[in-house]
Amino acid sequence: MNRRQFVQASVLTGGGLLLTFHQSAAQMLTAGRPSNGGDHTKQVNDSAMGDLLSISADGRVRYQFIKHEMGQGVSTAMAMIIAEELCADWEKVSIDLPDTNMKKFQNDRNGGHDTGGSCTIIYQYDVLRKAGATARQMLIAAAAARWKVTPDACYAEGHQVINRNTRASLGFGALAGEASNFAPSPSESIGLKEERKFNLIGQSKSAKVIPDIVTGRATYGLDVKVAGMLIAVVERCPVFRGKIKSYDASEAMAVKGVRHIFTNQQVAGLQRETPFMPHDIREGVVVVADSFWAAQQARSKLRIVWDEGANGSKSSADFERLAALRAINKTSPTAFIGDADAGSNMAHVKRTIRASYVFPHQLHNCMEPLNCTAKVSNNKCEIWIGSQAPNLIVTELQRVFGFNDSDIIVHNHVSGGGFGRRYYPDMAIEAAFISRESGGAPVKMIWTREDDHLFNLAHLFQHMEYQASVDQQDQLYAWYEKEIRTYTWGAKYADPQLPFMAYEIPNIRYDFEQMIDDELVHSSAWRGVVGHGRFYSECFVDEVAAAMGKDPYTFRRELLRNKRDVQVGDIYPVSGSRTLRVLDLAVEKSGWLKMHSSSDTGGTKGMGMAVCPYGNSYVAVVAEVTVKDQQLRIDRMTVAVDCGLVINPSGVANQISGGIVWSLTALLYGGLPIVDGRAVYRNFHQNKLLRMRECPPIDVHFVETNDTRPWGVGEISSPMGVPAVLNAIYAATGRRIRKVPIDMKLFSSDGTTG
Amino acid sequence: MSNIQLTINGVSKHFDVDSTMPLLWVIRDFSGLMGTKYGCGVGQCGACTIHINGKAVRSCSITVGACAGKPVTTIEGLSSDGTHPLQTAWADVDVPQCGYCQAGQIMTAAAFLDQHPDPSDDEITSAMNGNLCRCGTYPRIHEAVKRASQKRKATGSETKTAKP
Repeated sequence: MNRRQFVQASVLTGGGLLLTFHQSAAQMLTAGRPSNGGDHTKQVNDSAMGDLLSISADGRVRYQFIKHEMGQGVSTAMAMIIAEELCADWEKVSIDLPDTNMKKFQNDRNGGHDTGGSCTIIYQYDVLRKAGATARQMLIAAAAARWKVTPDACYAEGHQVINRNTRASLGFGALAGEASNFAPSPSESIGLKEERKFNLIGQSKSAKVIPDIVTGRATYGLDVKVAGMLIAVVERCPVFRGKIKSYDASEAMAVKGVRHIFTNQQVAGLQRETPFMPHDIREGVVVVADSFWAAQQARSKLRIVWDEGANGSKSSADFERLAALRAINKTSPTAFIGDADAGSNMAHVKRTIRASYVFPHQLHNCMEPLNCTAKVSNNKCEIWIGSQAPNLIVTELQRVFGFNDSDIIVHNHVSGGGFGRRYYPDMAIEAAFISRESGGAPVKMIWTREDDHLFNLAHLFQHMEYQASVDQQDQLYAWYEKEIRTYTWGAKYADPQLPFMAYEIPNIRYDFEQMIDDELVHSSAWRGVVGHGRFYSECFVDEVAAAMGKDPYTFRRELLRNKRDVQVGDIYPVSGSRTLRVLDLAVEKSGWLKMHSSSDTGGTKGMGMAVCPYGNSYVAVVAEVTVKDQQLRIDRMTVAVDCGLVINPSGVANQISGGIVWSLTALLYGGLPIVDGRAVYRNFHQNKLLRMRECPPIDVHFVETNDTRPWGVGEISSPMGVPAVLNAIYAATGRRIRKVPIDMKLFSSDGTTG
Repeated sequence: MSNIQLTINGVSKHFDVDSTMPLLWVIRDFSGLMGTKYGCGVGQCGACTIHINGKAVRSCSITVGACAGKPVTTIEGLSSDGTHPLQTAWADVDVPQCGYCQAGQIMTAAAFLDQHPDPSDDEITSAMNGNLCRCGTYPRIHEAVKRASQKRKATGSETKTAKP
């Protein structure tokens, strides 16, 4: 294939058009030759985007969605982008989930399966537009040929091509077969729609997967059925890095329906060898049975003696004390603006404000418990799973078992929540091992909800140490921030290298230390992947404002007065003007200026704000709370969003609102307490999630923007509820809370004023 | 092991299973209906909610033996064509995100609306409070239940829930 080719057209079996797109370095478009056959897979096996789009003779448009749909709505948004440029009837567009294919769908920013970091729409937008526009151009060319007119005498609208002069029209289905002859030549330019003519992008559309969800037809990984499939559960060591000393399975083997019992030791342990995203497979004893219930019955009869190792006597309180000690270590800055040592320059500094904040480990608690079905025989491996990174599954299966890439098939399903946890390939490695040890039978490994609590990866632990220095002129002169954390994706420090804010402070310093070797549970990516602890900076800004006797809004506006962009060591600079715009909108919509704090017989009310970028999107949140009768009530959350061009307002609002609920769970209930190496919470009766009764009204507002590009939205609000509510609690009670989950005893009668 | 008869979505079936097995696992592993979800196994999340005699029940927390001979409705049997007022309201309001909990949410809401055709906002919240949603779709679930109740009233289809 010419490496500059972008599109390749072929004829679908039974008529119709199949477009295969190639991602070339220059994104140049050249023509592929149409094929006569329906077996298109042979000719596209070296393409980056594969068989992206097909239009069948009945006009049905099928979009091949190769990313992972886990509730973030991205499959619908991506289909909208391509349908917009195609001028397709949205009702005739459907979404397919093809198998993972590392050759067809190369993993780079423009293609590939990898789904994380709120990046999908950002990287796919141009490619999808171009693909849709190419298909439209080909359909127009086919119609023009039929009518013996030039293409510019025709246009596409509403799933048809229309002749400008005669008003004749031909449906996409009727044209699809012929259109395959009109793949554009390399010199032909592809005309994208003008943004002002968009009539699908910007409209709220319900997610395409909903009809399957509300009827129970959607097949999640846990719902996969494979002929002859067995079920496996694993009784794992209750202590991270613990090992099996000995076990007795005689009683368990006697349970009817049990097939095999063996250990997972061959694949267990902390996987630091993996080239990316280190993960953990907790050592344990595997029970394989005919049914889940039989497997669980047998599991309860296992007698295992554990070698708990050093972690068996440690608790999360010990770990937090260790982190607090590290926080006062003197380290070198990761990066700084101005003078790194400005805070100690007593010629300038009049007063210093300090605070320590803690964001503990947190569970993902995906509603669909972790699972994977695998079939391994004759050196071939077939996997059924819902994964954010099936590409990592393929590379890890190769690394651990030595399979050839071509002998691995991954069927990627929708999942019941990913939140970063489903980025890790551990389930597939373990399920493949279990299948192999079960004589090659297909085996579905299921994590129970108790397993989810007792043995899982978690959000990293963060201790944030802040120091602000005010100078002789009563200006904020220096900001020092030190982060202690447990997970860095194998990097020396976590990006960005400076605090994620546009505030104009002459001297800003960020220090960093990791505690990976000391952790009591393996840390991982979570929704809000940069780490929620870093957003405590919005609490500390509030503290500085209070110490300087300033209103939190006024103080932030002063720090943003020049609307400057600040380079923080991330891909994008932090924009002062965009920060200010979301902040102003949240203030306007929340009624901040009318009621910042008040007290009456209804209790003590307060409002708090937080504003931050995430990737290249911006979110400001105003929380309104009431503290009454020693109870905290969150009355309302007002969110202002700048995510650039909004593809699907309904879908984005879902992400923003859902992210706030996510953060309120962390605020009220989160945490992963560990005593004697063991997780304390076993299920949702102990580790609570926010429920409808506690869910406040959440208003989502979009800023007016001329931005013509969409930015990510899946994670942007998820860290923001915590700082906004903590600041609101301060406004209501005068009490600073610097750790989540909130200790409700703080609101007892002697604690409401702090 | 015992032979237990259940009527699931109007179809009578016999299951040769341990009578203490939770109904959830009989539905999923033995009848092959996968729309009813496993979420917690201890009656805390509501993902496994089904109807027995038209009442919402956590299928993870009741043994199959206790259901013998009783009519069971799962999400697959809520309507023949996916047009129960709650199912259409769920689509209209764009409720689901990952969708995993939503079958349980809808089954809880369906039994509730059968008993309370004209619920107040607070009654909806109380009825739905037992169902967890990690994606945080609560505001839209509330809105969709409200909308479905209004639609049922307007069309007089208050007995829309399919009877097994």
